[in-house]
Parts: sequence; C-alpha cells; structure tokens
Amino acid sequence: MFSPEGQKKAEHILSRYPIKMNALLPILHLAQRENKGYLTPEWLEHVAEVCEVPATHVEGVATFYTMFKFRPLGKYHLQICTNIACGLCGGEKILEHVEQRLDLHAGHTREDGQFSIEEVECLGACGYGPVMIVNEEYHERLTVEATDKIIDELEKNTKELPEKILPLDRPLTA
Amino acid sequence: MPTFYLDDQAIEFEPGEKIIAAAKRAGIDIPHYCYHPALSVVATCRMCLVDIVDMGNGRPAPKLMTSCSTDAAEGMKILSQNEKVVEGRELVMEFLLVNHPLDCPICDQAGECTLQDFSFEYGSGNSEMEYSKRVYGWRDIGTFVTLERNRCIHCTRCDRFTREITGTNEFGVFNRGHQLTVDTFTDQPMTNKFQGNMADICPVGCITEREFRFKKRAWKLKKTNSICNRCSTGCNITVEEDKNKVFRFKPRENQEVNQWWMCDDGRISYRDYGKNKNRFLQPMGRVKGNLVKASWDQIFEALKSRIADLSPNPNEVVALSDNFASNEELFLLKKMLADVFDSDKIFFPLRAWSQHETAYPIDSLITTDKSPNRAGAIALGLLGDEDDAKLKEALSETVKIAFILGNPFNEDNEILELLAKAELIVYIGTENNHWTEKADVLLPGQTHVEKEGTFTNKNSRVQRSNIAVKAPKETKPEWMILTELIQFMGKDADFHTSRAVFEAIGASNDHFKGMTFDSVGDLGSLLTSI
Amino acid sequence: MLEETLVLFKNVRQPGYSGDLASYQSSGGYSALKKALKMKPEEIVNTVKESNLRGRGGAGFPTGLKWSFMAKGTGKPSYLVINADEGEPGTFKDREIMLKEPHMFLEGYMIGCYAIGCHHGYIYVRGEFVPAMQRLQEAIDECYQSGLLGDKIAGSDFKLDITLHPGAGAYICGEETALLDSLEGRRGQPRTKPPFPAVAGFNGCPTSVNNVETLMNVPSIINDGAEAFKELGPPNNAGTHLVSLSGHVNNPGVYELKMGVNLKDIIYDIGGGILGGKELKGVIPGGSSTPVLRPDEIDIPYDFDSLAKAKSMMGSSAIIVFNEDTDVVKFLYRIVKFYNHESCGQCTPCREGTNWSRLMLRQFVQQQGTPQQLKRLYRVGGNMMGTTLCPLGDACAMPLRAFLEKYPEEFQAHFAEAS
Ligand SMILES: Cc1cc2nc3c(=O)[nH]c(=O)nc-3n(C[C@H](O)[C@H](O)[C@H](O)COP(=O)(O)O)c2cc1C
Ligand code: SF4
Ligand code: SF4
Ligand code: SF4
Ligand code: FES
Ligand code: FES
Repeated sequence: MFSPEGQKKAEHILSRYPIKMNALLPILHLAQRENKGYLTPEWLEHVAEVCEVPATHVEGVATFYTMFKFRPLGKYHLQICTNIACGLCGGEKILEHVEQRLDLHAGHTREDGQFSIEEVECLGACGYGPVMIVNEEYHERLTVEATDKIIDELEKNTKELPEKILPLDRPLTA
Repeated sequence: MPTFYLDDQAIEFEPGEKIIAAAKRAGIDIPHYCYHPALSVVATCRMCLVDIVDMGNGRPAPKLMTSCSTDAAEGMKILSQNEKVVEGRELVMEFLLVNHPLDCPICDQAGECTLQDFSFEYGSGNSEMEYSKRVYGWRDIGTFVTLERNRCIHCTRCDRFTREITGTNEFGVFNRGHQLTVDTFTDQPMTNKFQGNMADICPVGCITEREFRFKKRAWKLKKTNSICNRCSTGCNITVEEDKNKVFRFKPRENQEVNQWWMCDDGRISYRDYGKNKNRFLQPMGRVKGNLVKASWDQIFEALKSRIADLSPNPNEVVALSDNFASNEELFLLKKMLADVFDSDKIFFPLRAWSQHETAYPIDSLITTDKSPNRAGAIALGLLGDEDDAKLKEALSETVKIAFILGNPFNEDNEILELLAKAELIVYIGTENNHWTEKADVLLPGQTHVEKEGTFTNKNSRVQRSNIAVKAPKETKPEWMILTELIQFMGKDADFHTSRAVFEAIGASNDHFKGMTFDSVGDLGSLLTSI
Repeated sequence: MLEETLVLFKNVRQPGYSGDLASYQSSGGYSALKKALKMKPEEIVNTVKESNLRGRGGAGFPTGLKWSFMAKGTGKPSYLVINADEGEPGTFKDREIMLKEPHMFLEGYMIGCYAIGCHHGYIYVRGEFVPAMQRLQEAIDECYQSGLLGDKIAGSDFKLDITLHPGAGAYICGEETALLDSLEGRRGQPRTKPPFPAVAGFNGCPTSVNNVETLMNVPSIINDGAEAFKELGPPNNAGTHLVSLSGHVNNPGVYELKMGVNLKDIIYDIGGGILGGKELKGVIPGGSSTPVLRPDEIDIPYDFDSLAKAKSMMGSSAIIVFNEDTDVVKFLYRIVKFYNHESCGQCTPCREGTNWSRLMLRQFVQQQGTPQQLKRLYRVGGNMMGTTLCPLGDACAMPLRAFLEKYPEEFQAHFAEAS
C-alpha cells in the first residue's frame, strides 16, 4: 500500500532499529501521511505486515496515541492548548474565539474539509502561551488579533505552511 | 529452602518466586485479578497489595507492594490483613466498582465471580459514584464466547491469553485511560480453538461461554472430577450438573496434562450427554426376527443357551471395541474372550496419529488421535493396526459370535459386512444405530459421565473419570455387564466395583503393576512400565 | 538582583548565535568529546558520579549512579535512550535546547554513549515537536557529515549512530519504562519493576534513560571537572539548571540558574514580578504534578532538597505562577483533567480515580459542589496516592491534595446555593 517513495522511506526507517516492531510508531506516522492524515483498518493491516506484528497489536498501539487519527482531518488542523500555563494567559479565550469564528466545535472537522479544531494538552511551550499548532507549525503568545490574522491567511490560502517532514523520512547523509 | 513470613506464618519459596505464588502453594489466597500463573505479570489491578514491613534486610518497603510482582526474599515479613492493606483493597474495590454495572442477577458469572466475592468482603456494597457509568455495547466475538464489556475490569488476562498462550493475537487492548477497552481487531470474530478458556480466566462476567449464557446459575451446579474423552490428551475436567442434567465441562488444573486449559471441541462434548431419544434403556433379544425387551437374567440365560448351541471354536469368536472403552472394560472384554471362549481375537481401532505442535504449548493438547484410551488398549494387549489388516484376516475365517462394545469400525463397510455374517452378535452400547439391526442381543450400557473408569492418555498417563450423573435404571456400566456375563458363563469374575477391576489389572499386567484408583488419584499417574 | 549563571546557555545568550555545528565548534564545542574519547569509559562514569549531577527529568536521580547500575557482561548491547518527551505542563526547556543549542546536548549524549558502551542511541522526542525534531535532525546530519557520528566518531575507534524517534501524543511516555515500551513499538504503558531498565530496558537490553538537559551538563563536567560543577550549587544539588518560568509573570521563559537560589527572587528578579502588578496567589514549583505553594511559602532555596523539605518537589524545574484573579478550582480541574486524559489506564486506581476526581471537580466548576463531595474528593483523589503502578497516579493526587488543603475557602465558594 505504500507508494514506491513511501516504501523507500519505510525501509530506511526499518533499517534504524534492531527489530521491525521498534519502527512501529514512525511507520504509523508515515502511513498516516500517505493516507491523507488518517489510518484505516486496511492501513493498520499493512503496517502490521511491514512491522511483522499482529494487526491487533497495531490497532492497540495506534489507538493509544492521540496523534493517530481514524477519520479524515481538515486541511488545516488547529490544535489549541488550554492547559494550565496557556490557560492562565487566555488559552481558553483563544479556543472559544476560534470556535466561534469558524463556527465549529473543538473535536470536529468542518464539512467543507478546510478546518479541524482540537483542544489539546500542554504543547511544551508554556512560557510562550497561549499556543496553537497549525498542522505542524507552532504559533505562540497568541492574542485574538494574531489568531484572526493567521486564520485570515488560511482562509485565503495565502499562508505557506511548512511541509510536515519527520526526521526519519529524510535520507541519511551518512 | 528459603522462608518468608506472611502474617506470621512461615512460608517456604523457590528463589525467584513471587509472593502470591508461594502463598498459594501454602494454601493462602491473596485476593487478585490480573495475576494468573499462566500469564506474564502486569501488576495492574492493584488488588494484591500487601504491606512488607521487612524486606528481608530489616527495612520496610516504602509503600504497599503488589504481591504478584514482588519476589519473595529470605526473612521477608509481610502483612496481608492489617488496616493499611484492607484499606488499600477496599479502595481498589471501590474504584473497580465505580464503573461496574453490578448486574449480578442477570450475569452468568454470578456465583463464581471474584469481583462479587471480594466486593462482599471488602466493598461497602454501595458506590458513592453518582455519575453515569461507562457503557460499551455487547459484542458477539466468537463461535464460543461473548463479550459484555460493561463488566470488564481491564485485567487484560484475555489479551495476554491470545498473545502468550494461543499466539493467535485476535484480542487486544485498545484506547487508553478511562476509555480503555478490550476487543478483537476491527471487530473481527475470534478464531482460536481454545476460546472457552478465556471465559474461564476472565475474572468477571465480561467474557462468558455463549453455550452457557442465561442457562443456569453457576452456584447451583454440582461438580465432579472427570476427564474429557474426546481425544487421547485426556484433559482433566469437572463435569457440572444440576438435577441430573449436564450443563457444562470446565477444565481442571493438571500441570502434567492440560495445565489450566481444554479445547473448545472437548468443552462442547458435554452436549452429548443431554436427552437422547436414540438411547436404548433395556436389554433386548431377537425373537423370530424382532427385538424383544427382556430382563437382565432372561437375556443372560438366553445368551448362555445360544452360545452352548453354537459351541464355537476359539477362533470363531471375536470382540471389537470402539475408541471410548476404559481400561477396565477392555480388560474384562479380553478376559471374557479368553476365559469363556479361549479366544484372543479382540480388536481395537489403533490408527496412525500425529501430534499438533507449535511454539505454544497449548496447541499440544490437540492431537489427531481421537481415542482417549489408545495407550491403554496397547498396554492391555488388544489387537489392531492402522489399516485393520489383522481384523480383516480374522474375519475372513468363519465367525460365529461377535461381541461389539460401542460402535467400532463403523466407517469400514467391508468389516461391517463380514461381521454381519456372524451367527450371534452381542451389542453392548447406549444408543440405537446400525448395530441395532444387526445384533441378536442388545445390552444397555452407560455413558462416559454415568460410570467410572480409567483411561490411559497419549503420554501413558492413567487417569480416572467418575460418576457425575445417575444412569437410567435398567442400564448397567459396561464393566458390570461384562463381569456378570463371565459369571453367567460359569467362570471366575469376582468384581463388585470398577475399582476392584482396576486392581485386578494392577495385579496381572506389568504395565499397570501395583496401580490402584487411589494411586492414580485426581491427577493420574504414569503407567508403571511403558 | 538575581541573575542567570551561564554554562548551558553560554552560547545561546550570545547575540547572533545560530547553534549550528560551525558556531558551536567555534565557541569550543566538541572539545569535551575529544577529551572524553581519550579517557576510559569507567573514568567518565566516575567523574559524572563525583560531580553529583542529578537527573533533570523530574526525579532527580544521580546520573553517574544510574550509569553504574547498567548490567555488564550480558552479551547484549547497552543503550542510552534520551527522554525528550517533555510534556509535564509548565515544562518547556528541552524544546528550547533542541531548537537553540542542539549540539551541546548531542556532545553530552555522545560522551554518555561512550561511557556506557552504547553504539546506537535513540532520542525519543514527543510527536508534536516537529520543528524541534527537524532542528535536531539537522544537527545530527551535520555530525554525520563531519565524522562526529558514524563508524569512527571524531577519529576514534568508537562507533555511534543516533536515531530520532518520534512519539505520537502520550504524556505517559515520559515515564521511562513507558517510553521504552513505546520505543519498542508497543502501547506506552509503564512496566512493573523489577526488572529495572538498567537490567532489562530497550528490547530487554541494559538501558539507561536520561533527560535531554541532564546530558547537556556532561560536556562542562568533562571539560571543567566534577569539582567546578559541584561548586555551582549547594551540597547534593550541584550545577545549574534550566528553569521554565510561566504563568502570570512579566518575563516568562527558560532561564539558567544555579541550584539553590531563592524561589521568590526567581519570580520577582528573573520573572520581573507578577503580571499586571497583581497580588500573587500561589506558585507551582516543579511542574503541574508538584504540590502548590502559597505566597508565604516561597521564600526558600530552589533546589531538590529544599523543596522536598517544603513538602513539595522541584520536579522538572518548571515554575508556574498564578495571581489573585485565578479561579483555583478551575485551575485544579484543568490539572486533573490533564492527568485523566493522559492516564494510560492499565491500573485501577489511576484509570478510575482520575476520572472520578475530574467529574467531581467539574461539579465544583459548575458551582454545584457540596461539603460532602469535598470530603469525598479529598478521599478519592488522595487515595490514588501510593497505590498505583507508576507515579502518574501520585502526580494527580499530589496537587489535588495540596490545593484542597491550602485553598479550602476557594472550594467552599463553589458550593451550590442550597448547601
Ligand atoms: C508520568 C511521568 C512523566 C514523565 N515525563 C518526563 C518527561 O517528559 N521528560 C523527562 O525527561 N522525564 C520525565 N519523567 C521522568 C522519567 O521517568 C525519568 O525519571 C527520567 O527520564 C530520567 O532521566 P534523568 O535521570 O536524566 O532525569 C516522567 C516521569 C513520570 C512518572
Ligand atoms: S474481558 Fe475479562 S479478562 Fe478481559 S480484561 Fe476484561 S475482565 Fe479481564
Ligand atoms: S484437547 Fe482433547 S482431551 Fe482436551 S478438551 Fe480437547 S478433546 Fe478433550
Ligand atoms: S498510574 Fe496511571 S499512568 Fe501509571 S500505570 Fe497506572 S494507569 Fe497507567
Ligand atoms: S500549557 Fe500550553 S504549552 Fe504548556
Ligand atoms: S494481582 Fe497483583 S496487581 Fe493485579
């Protein structure tokens, strides 16, 4: 099921571990990206083959971690931290504002497939709260105005987002 | 052996043994859910907490420890009943019950549920939790078991069972935290051949046997130790019955044979002991072509005079047994042939067989040898071979009298046709079949759960099965029928119990030398010589 | 006026410092590695032991001692695995290191690998840290290109590979045995101990798990010696550490401070005082799991032992400050909700207790609390303490108890009208 390019990446990832099962998390990340951001039973079975583990094991692992999704996400995935440090600085206000502006509840994807909002736990940038991740990019010290500006750009499709590249995807230089 | 102290009782342990296991050997049960001696230790239910006041080095453990995961150590002093421990257990119980439906009145596990037991002992009975409980749907996950996940206490025994015991991995733990759940891969059904065991090891009524669903309250069942007779492994079981009706078979622990397990085929063989319309319950003899009911005395008299009329030569008498006869029955059948007819033509279907072997020991329960007493038949000197050449040779000569025990060789028409030519056919069995048409005399025997006897399994282990239900009035156990037949024919056979028959085997057969019912006991013992 | 003591961030604080290999090397970087590669591995372990370096991941366990526990002569490979799963609310220093000074950490890591004989190192980075992972991977690539990693590192005979391993969203994977399960390709559930990782860790091999910042201290210990390191703090609390300061302060951020400086000074001198000139209401001194301190309790030295004496913990050196406007009930609700969300769920008290506590607290947030429920909350929440398999249950119970004990009036203010 992996594309030829994905297959190559998968092989590179596998080569970095003593046993294939160890590569399960990075391979799941890879599979999720090949399938436009979410995993299906077929992909779980494929990953099971690649990592030589039972499919139940893969499902057990995939459902343990919050970053693996089983439904399509919007083109823009807004993850807003409302944990305590961000909360003290207004994280919840930012979340509420984004929900209102996009007319979309956290935990959902808009029908046009443009946006998903997720209320998330601490993102490890607490001193710079409130924090929001758009796809992979961190946005810090957010105000309502700054957030609006980001969403403006997203709505107009003028914002350039870095492509999500996980370290193991890259061919090793050595 | 090194020793530790549990509530002041000295307990010896093997180095490396966990506290809970050593205590169990000494007869003390520390409450637990996730621990199972067959499975890896996860120490997650936290029920088995104990207070280690001295770790063996004079120092106490910093907090309560789980006895399922803590190695016993020389001189350790452990308290399992003090306030701290009881409080800890009450707390764990309270947490376990927070989301438990407590629907014991409609739960099949009730009566054998450790959650119910411990909640009685340690729980306050009513939960202070005032929020709605977690709800999952009921799921049918296999041919054999059902999953009522609202009752799950997340001990993961089921998950570890399909990972570690069967290696089939159909089961998994999904999600995390409060959403944690057990299920099969994207809702596929279970496939392993040992699913019933998952119902056994699930400590609550989450996984239950579909067969048993809503049929009976478990505490009403009377249990009798027995063995499964569906293959030559001879898994140790209990036959569980109420009002003379068998409701289920459950495996009984025997580390030398089946450990804690049995296969699903064996487990559902309990069905064979329900109401059977086909059963014949009275001796019958053929008069002018028709079968006529008779008393035991009448039928033995008639048989005796018919045999006298035929006055067969030794090689004109044969006896055939099916796979299911016990050592005692085979011994007596052989004895009758020898003492009464001077014949040694007694045959048993000794088939080629193979053992299923994988990296998972449980698979070795399954064998292609469906004969529970094959090794016994060999030890007792019965005749037979893979393609029944010897039997066919014997049948090619004139056969005047044939004794049929059970339903042997019924898959081979050639044999059946040859046999049908005998002038006198005596059929000892329990149900009507093709022999009913062919036989001149029908003697009603008893089923596996109605009589006692010993069987020799594939590893030459002699094991006992016991009387679990009362047999119908006019029937007799086969060993008794054969004993009386020998007596009627004027020969010596002074056996009043199957126990006595087995002792006679022990006295006369080197393989069984010195063995008695008592020496075989509940867990069986190996043939003296193989 | 309290100021930073710069060892770990000595380059980072230089204007224009890029943190790439060239800039790190031009300020003396990788000299410690070259020195270490000429030492015997045991010598390095001993030096680190003597330095009194304590782990910066939260538990404060002596690093040299941990390394010396590694099982030897097993015939299996040894591993040094890096914990970069930074997820405890309030903590954001490891990300800062990976983004701004990846090479100093990598140098320490390489020395650590050499010291315990690890030939393939894994860095477990939390999955959300994509930019930090990219930055760190660039640094690793630079090392491979310049021969600092690979078959013969820095011209020695020592072979070392380093692989970045992305997590996937689970705070519990910061717990070291859960991290190892996760790295192996399993659900990130903490293991029951023993065996300890030093005996059976990654794939059953002897393993030491260390925090990013812990390893970052190693180059200066090798270069300047154990004594110099010890002098940077009070006895038993050696060195500088990176303090994550967040919440209601004027200057939040990551600061490098000596151990044992005054906590109050950190908030007022370094942090520039309370945001908006408000009154201080409380301080969480070591990440969300540590018991809260009231304003009258913060005039204490900031190090492992002094905080333990104050019945709290320094944890991962993450100070969260909150002012008089803060609704303590809601604040605690958010903490408990976090631990509830992150509980792996395998053990009973944590799986059920965190959820039950959250539900009760939610009622208080909705102004529906009762005195009876307050008692129950204390009992249920507190009872998780000491009965769980891993410290996450405690991490939820500790702040819960502390808040209830120290701010009872706030909870009473959330009783329903009728009661
Ligand atoms: C629930 C929990 C979460 C933890 N999270 C982290 C973490 O994110 N990063 C970290 O370095 N250590 C974390 N730890 C501590 C680790 O278990 C371990 O002590 C640490 O990685 C050891 O490294 P050190 O000795 O260098 O501090 C956590 C511990 C627990 C119990
Ligand atoms: S289904 Fe039964 S065995 Fe499986 S986890 Fe739940 S309670 Fe345990
Ligand atoms: S393995 Fe054989 S003896 Fe055991 S239960 Fe199955 S059929 Fe019966
Ligand atoms: S305390 Fe919580 S996180 Fe830790 S093992 Fe138990 S359930 Fe998992
Ligand atoms: S609390 Fe929001 S990033 Fe830590
Ligand atoms: S039996 Fe020990 S924790 Fe479950």
